[in-house]
Amino acid sequence: MGNVPARDIGIFLAASVCGVASGLFGIGGGVLLIPLLGLLFAFDQHRAQGTSLVALVPPTGLLAFLAYAKAGYVSWHTGLLLIPGIFLGGIAGGALAKRVSPNHLRRVFAAIVFLVGAWQAVVALRH
Amino acid sequence: MTITVILVLGLAVGILVGLLGVGGGVVLVPALAYLLHMDQHSAQGTSLLILLPPVGLGALREYWKQGQVDLRTGILSAAGMLLGGYAGSLIALPMQARHLKAWFGCFLMLAAVLLWRKTQDQGVPATPRTEQNSGG
Repeated sequence: MGNVPARDIGIFLAASVCGVASGLFGIGGGVLLIPLLGLLFAFDQHRAQGTSLVALVPPTGLLAFLAYAKAGYVSWHTGLLLIPGIFLGGIAGGALAKRVSPNHLRRVFAAIVFLVGAWQAVVALRH
Repeated sequence: MTITVILVLGLAVGILVGLLGVGGGVVLVPALAYLLHMDQHSAQGTSLLILLPPVGLGALREYWKQGQVDLRTGILSAAGMLLGGYAGSLIALPMQARHLKAWFGCFLMLAAVLLWRKTQDQGVPATPRTEQNSGG
């Protein structure tokens, strides 16, 4: 019902920003897309997570990946070995998310991500 | 030995993908850089390779069963991210590795703040299907 085009345009623009982060930092973009869906478009947490997974089904990083591959910045060996584990782990994690409330876990995860980020920034700038 | 590390790392990242709905990249890039000693550009490029196949498909199926998926928004987001991703790679590739690493670190801190903030919103009664906005 309430599918206003303005909202669609907003979602597209927000996702484009996530895309820039995706190409810039070599990530999927879900880490940014989930909070943006929640904060700007009133998605609850589970729905934001499920919807973010839809966005990550098509190879959204394809254009960015091709640019990195052309520059020689891709380790195929490591990458191909990681894929089956991530797929299987994803099933386990998705099933687990139904049983536990991931709230507490998310905070622990956020704290770790923050520390890794701070550490990485400091190390890089000191180099 | 390295192969074992890589396989276990993949599994651990996958569990986080399913559990928290975050893309694996935010964990993978630092892990590839520190555990496997890749330079920043290669860690990012390899992370993008991993995200090409739908690794989150298994997790998505679980969310779909719960009705926690907005297909229209997901498709729109995918289109935006495809184009934005190309723009981002054009910015990243000419950068010095250490500058890129520093920016990545700052990005991680921002992502952490957003993740943390989301948990505080959980107390607010959610009305997912209505468009109402309680205007701050």
